Amino acid sequence: MVRELGKQKILNVDLSSGQTSVQEVPTDELKGLLGGRGLAAKILYERLKPGTDPLGPENILIFAPGTFSGTNAPSSGRTTVTCKGPATGFYLKVSGGGHVGAELKYAGYDYIVISGKAEEPVYLWIHNGEIEIRDAGHLWGKGTRETDRLIKNELGDENIQTALIGPAGENKVLFSCIILSLYNSASRGGVGAVMGSKNLKAIAVRGTGALRAADGKGFFKLASDIRKEMATDTSANTMHQWGTAGFIPGLNALGMLPTCNFSKTTIEGGERLSGQYLEDEGFLVGRESCFACSIACHRYVRTKEHRYGEVNDSGPELETMMSLGAECGITDTEAVLKANQLCNDYGIDTISTGHVMAWAMETYEKGLITEKEAEGLDLRFGNASAMVELVRRMALREGWLGDLLAEGTKRAAERIGGDAWMWAIQAKGLEQSACDTRGAKGYALGFALNPRGPDHLTTEAIAEFGFTEEAKALIKHITGDEKYAVSTITDKRPEIVVWHEDCYAASDALGFCAFTSTASYNVNPERMAKLFGYATGIEISEQELMLAGRRIMTLERCFNVREGYRREHDTLPWRMMNDPIPDGINKGLVTDKEMLDKMLDEYFKLTGWDPTTGIPTREELERLGLLKLCGDAASA
Amino acid sequence: METLTINAEKCTSCRACELTCSFTKEGVFAPSLSRIRVVRFMNRGLSVPTVCVNCARPACVEVCPTEAAYIDRSVPVVRIDEEKCIGCGECVKACPFGAADFNEEKGVAYMCDLCDGNPACVSNCIYGALTFKPRYTVAEQKRRAAAEAYALSEHVR
Repeated sequence: MVRELGKQKILNVDLSSGQTSVQEVPTDELKGLLGGRGLAAKILYERLKPGTDPLGPENILIFAPGTFSGTNAPSSGRTTVTCKGPATGFYLKVSGGGHVGAELKYAGYDYIVISGKAEEPVYLWIHNGEIEIRDAGHLWGKGTRETDRLIKNELGDENIQTALIGPAGENKVLFSCIILSLYNSASRGGVGAVMGSKNLKAIAVRGTGALRAADGKGFFKLASDIRKEMATDTSANTMHQWGTAGFIPGLNALGMLPTCNFSKTTIEGGERLSGQYLEDEGFLVGRESCFACSIACHRYVRTKEHRYGEVNDSGPELETMMSLGAECGITDTEAVLKANQLCNDYGIDTISTGHVMAWAMETYEKGLITEKEAEGLDLRFGNASAMVELVRRMALREGWLGDLLAEGTKRAAERIGGDAWMWAIQAKGLEQSACDTRGAKGYALGFALNPRGPDHLTTEAIAEFGFTEEAKALIKHITGDEKYAVSTITDKRPEIVVWHEDCYAASDALGFCAFTSTASYNVNPERMAKLFGYATGIEISEQELMLAGRRIMTLERCFNVREGYRREHDTLPWRMMNDPIPDGINKGLVTDKEMLDKMLDEYFKLTGWDPTTGIPTREELERLGLLKLCGDAASA
Repeated sequence: METLTINAEKCTSCRACELTCSFTKEGVFAPSLSRIRVVRFMNRGLSVPTVCVNCARPACVEVCPTEAAYIDRSVPVVRIDEEKCIGCGECVKACPFGAADFNEEKGVAYMCDLCDGNPACVSNCIYGALTFKPRYTVAEQKRRAAAEAYALSEHVR
């Protein structure tokens, strides 16, 4: 079974009725939205009514591998998962790597659109075009690792790829995730809870089909050349050698390592959280990749002393080391390895897990969670065994504390009352990822505007730090002068954010990892456009590609507008806006309302969104060809 | 005579080799049609590429009822003459390495033919899990590694 890359297929599955259907994607839609994340945004916009309960049966869950997933385009195997998010009530786009996206493409589909809710726990089995909804009663309650094993045994194929939830998704923990191909996850915003709310335990995929490019030779050669070029990229090599946690020593030395709930910027013993330490001390037993990726940033680790229990599992990576480690005041490597493994198995987002615990620790130290309420846990910063135990309780909603924290810091702080909301490092209901947005202004703007809440996985404007020559060159390309490659100023941040948002959206739609397009720059917009033409037979220019990126961002914005999103939602956690950085090279910095407003004003000018409401104007929608689809949002 | 040498320690399961092979030999992206396949052990973080090892006295040639499988001395490498192949699958059963596979659509067997002496997968393996070297260098490298372990040990002067 050979499929043309330019002819995409949508598989619709309604879990309430058990019905499935297949649709083809029109060429003009593929051209305008690039596929993947882009088309998923349109599908969600069209099919989901505003005001839908994210944990109700009407929510729609879309799996969309990138348009290039399954080809040799370097690091193009990522999958976007889209739905309305339970943590925020807004648009939730999550992305994950692994091999399941490519497998789905080989199995005959480019999208799975899941609606409704199964009466009893089920799993979806997709095998070379055939679809089966199978009973998952025997899998419900089990961890992700055991579930994957049982499915492979049951279906008799070791090469099956899975997307699954653990007990946390079943328990609708608001930061539960979907584990992809065991070592990866679609993590943030409680996407796992949406899958759990549908009684969908897993999607198992096996595909032996083939994908054909319109101009195979052109595609293969360009993709191959980029792969070989990346072999000498410093950033890619650092991540290969030491994983993303290889950046920890640098961040710690620079005073850019959020510590103890963003109350400090560096932690003593931080090197014990680094990728270098994992290798030097013999924890590292393997380096693994996502599909078609030669960076291989993933780690596979084993504990040596098993002080918190034995660990033999994938990870941890940078954000995890920061959230479960430094943010909790912990540098005990084995504790972080164990906590990470629990997150993998229970199916919870390591970023939120760590930051929720950091909030709990600060709240406990400030006396707003009492000893009695902590139910036997000494929740002071630095208590590693308490941290490991707390991960389990949150995933399983165990006890008063576990259940409270499973709601995320926004809701937990509301319940606790007092000043606890001030140190809930969250906005819109999503915990912020570990980049200090007091010192990194481009990140700050990007975080405030991110449709799903304050994290880096929509912008990733690493270039603003000017760490490398390539980064400075990119800043010069965007702003006209490399002097703007400084993160602590607000000048030109809107231009930098717009470029990165557009590039990132295009990158996501095609399946590329941000490490190739916004952390290194080998997969740049010009090359993405060329590859798109070779792959699909649809020729597009670099400008058209970036415009498609802008179209995707605007479409996602319109979805949010329909859900009540306005300019006031483009905001940052309170601490980032009011509590200056206490020490380090960025001491005293803060991104207050005045600075944020200034950047937002300029951003809205650039993007043609109404400066008061933050709603895209009719002119802008017209320019992007979105007026017909999203006109209802513009007139809201 | 060169051979594809595998260093599984360096394999990360990127599967660029599978994509390169299926594209080079079949013009499409399809790991299921690749001559080289990565076998993963997910509970060990281990990935092992597997491919035809170019036996000097191959089992596949021995069992073939129609002499479709033969050694092409010019490379040298084992080849399948698709005209003669009746698709019985005996070679697939006979190969101890699982390197012979069956193309359902064409009804013939296939295995790696080293791309006529310039295997395409090698240059796309960025971290060196695949190399193409004269056979004698494999033993040579292993001897040297064993000797080095001794040379570096503390009790040697």
